[in-house]
Amino acid sequence: MAERVFITGMGMITAIGDNVAENLEQLRQQRSGLGFTSYIDTIYRQVLPVAEVKHTNESLATLAGTTPCKGLTRTTLLGMAAMKEALQQAGISDVQSAPTGFINASTVGGMCDTEKVYFDIINPEKDGTFLQYIDTLDCADCTQRIADAVGFCEYIATISTACSSSANALMFGARMIKQGMLPRVICGGTEALTRFTLNGFNSLKNVDKQFCRPFDQQRTGLNLGEGAAYLVLEGESFARANNSRILAELTGYCNTNEAFHPTSPSPDGDGAYEAMKAALAMSGRSADAVDYINVHGTATLNNDVSEGKALERLFGSKVPLFSSTKPFTGHTLAAAGAIEAIFAVLAIQNGLIFPNLNFSEKMEELNITPVTRLIEDASVNNVISNSFGFGGNNASLVISKYEG
Amino acid sequence: MKVKCYIQGMAAISPQQTFNGDIFSAPLVHTDSNLLPCIEPDYKPFIPGNSLRRMTRVLKMGLTTALQCVRDSGLDTVGPIVTGTGKGSLQDTEKFIREIEQYKETALNPTPFIQSTYNSVNGLVALQLNATAYNNTFVHRGFSFETALLDSMMLLAEGASNTLTGAFEEMTAEHFYIKSRIGFWKQAPTDSRSLYEQLSPGSIAGEGAVFFSLTAAPADNQYAAVTGLKLLYKPTDEKLADTLATFAEGADLILTGRNGDNRYEHYYQQADRLNIPQLPFKHLCGEYDTAGAFGMWLGANILRSQQVPAQWFPSLEKVPATINRILLYNHFYGEQHAMIVLERV
Repeated sequence: MAERVFITGMGMITAIGDNVAENLEQLRQQRSGLGFTSYIDTIYRQVLPVAEVKHTNESLATLAGTTPCKGLTRTTLLGMAAMKEALQQAGISDVQSAPTGFINASTVGGMCDTEKVYFDIINPEKDGTFLQYIDTLDCADCTQRIADAVGFCEYIATISTACSSSANALMFGARMIKQGMLPRVICGGTEALTRFTLNGFNSLKNVDKQFCRPFDQQRTGLNLGEGAAYLVLEGESFARANNSRILAELTGYCNTNEAFHPTSPSPDGDGAYEAMKAALAMSGRSADAVDYINVHGTATLNNDVSEGKALERLFGSKVPLFSSTKPFTGHTLAAAGAIEAIFAVLAIQNGLIFPNLNFSEKMEELNITPVTRLIEDASVNNVISNSFGFGGNNASLVISKYEG
Repeated sequence: MKVKCYIQGMAAISPQQTFNGDIFSAPLVHTDSNLLPCIEPDYKPFIPGNSLRRMTRVLKMGLTTALQCVRDSGLDTVGPIVTGTGKGSLQDTEKFIREIEQYKETALNPTPFIQSTYNSVNGLVALQLNATAYNNTFVHRGFSFETALLDSMMLLAEGASNTLTGAFEEMTAEHFYIKSRIGFWKQAPTDSRSLYEQLSPGSIAGEGAVFFSLTAAPADNQYAAVTGLKLLYKPTDEKLADTLATFAEGADLILTGRNGDNRYEHYYQQADRLNIPQLPFKHLCGEYDTAGAFGMWLGANILRSQQVPAQWFPSLEKVPATINRILLYNHFYGEQHAMIVLERV
């Protein structure tokens, strides 16, 4: 019998808070982190809203307990801050006290800093300390810097499957535990805002000039965000022997590929349907045991139709309460899956269903609408968290209340 | 986890003539430009013309190698697709950065952005093969391919009957220059044939795409079995020596990723103490994040044919008459160390 996988620690930083408690408070207060960028050099500074973490790199370094230096990118600093909290919350003072893996996720690595010096890097006439950013461009740089700061020496890996990256990191870590390869794995992702991704999504005409409106008839696109989040996963036997505080259980997960189109989901949501269905089956929970779905809900025209259709197909006339928290945090790409997995745990721990901000008009293609106000004192036992990405990469997680 | 799977099919695009024809008669391709570029095949039999025009180099190499691998395997159905790439599509990344600057962030063509995404090759392979199972891309320098291999073995242990597992990497002129600024390549032009005698800082650059069809069950005419895998991140000398000794047990041959870089040569020298015949392979493929996949392809060929392509190893003295087990040991600039054990089937 494979080990059950428990969540025993969480750490995060997003536009709505520097840690888990601040994020929870802002969710309760229904306060969005969307605004305009202070740090990206772009002509869209006052045009395209983003959910930026309100710290300079220097201030992030302080938060992360490190000294700012050349070569330490914003991606790494965000990750270090979230990692520090995750370790603290799990009571881990030394990651080498037990074999501990680190599975990280990133979509563009250190692009946030490299893009600012790229044309100097390729110019033979320019020389200087900016050269220290050369090796930060790939996705492994942030992982290794975080690993070295913390002292990870077992399996370390980096996953990049676009917007489903950190959901896949959680899944991979859970599978390593179930295979008996490691008793403890820390999984998640980190993503900094960049001119590269902002222009990328804007060139796809996928960015809303207003604050994003998931599942709304008038939605026109997403807003990007930045942040990082890590969850400590432990196998049941280790967690018990270690007397770990168990926050929730990761009971189900599924990764499927839609094989439909490089960037668009299928209109009927085949991939989303399969991912949710298989994850739920693995969790051993019935459809009516799902209390809340934290949807991918990017507010792009295609995603919300496709995901909504998948919900209606899977749950029929009894679609559970659902909402997108992207209007709080923006779409944080590789970090989204882990950030939203923490929101799922917070929903369970605090009996909350978070509102889908900025919703006013039902989509004509769907019969369902998201939750629009904070629901307190709810009984939340099972949450589905969705993350869907380019390349047809779909991932769903089922996070459940810990019951002995 | 039980570490055992079988190589049912494989394909490689590399700087050598590996995609078509007989590798035992293919001449040794060499260079003194410190960069070994791939010999690219005709893509038209694999990719429809209208798609081909939009795709950049590493996408074409990755997709074509994956498709050829599936043909070679003879398998009817494609299950999970798992890959590794250290850098993804450099050409698209560079193009999009340049166009943002050039067009002042307006009227940009989204294609290079879409294709710069690290999982775009996986998405294309899934799309062309209508493969809707598990799909993942690992992007961690010298662990990219090896973690994809690990994930594949986990999937087989979990019940998948086969996986399509691969790696792809390209080098561009711009990236070659960038990496030269931080000492990745040798400064003096170096004949790739004498790479191992020219010990100095840096190596020579390479690139390649390699895919394997892996199965949980043995079958006739498979290339080899993968029976061991170990990844070590920045290991101490002692830990490396111990692990090498354990994994080399019973090996008739060690394939090493030696690359002439004197800064990290001492790691490979640990393997010298084991007194097992060695073959270094980087003069064939150059140094890149996922060169380990080329090493595994070479090892599997040697095991099935019981023969080393002698023309590729001019300084070859003696190899064992029978090769039942090969240890592949590779590391990437001293940080990510990987050991893969291959056995004859």
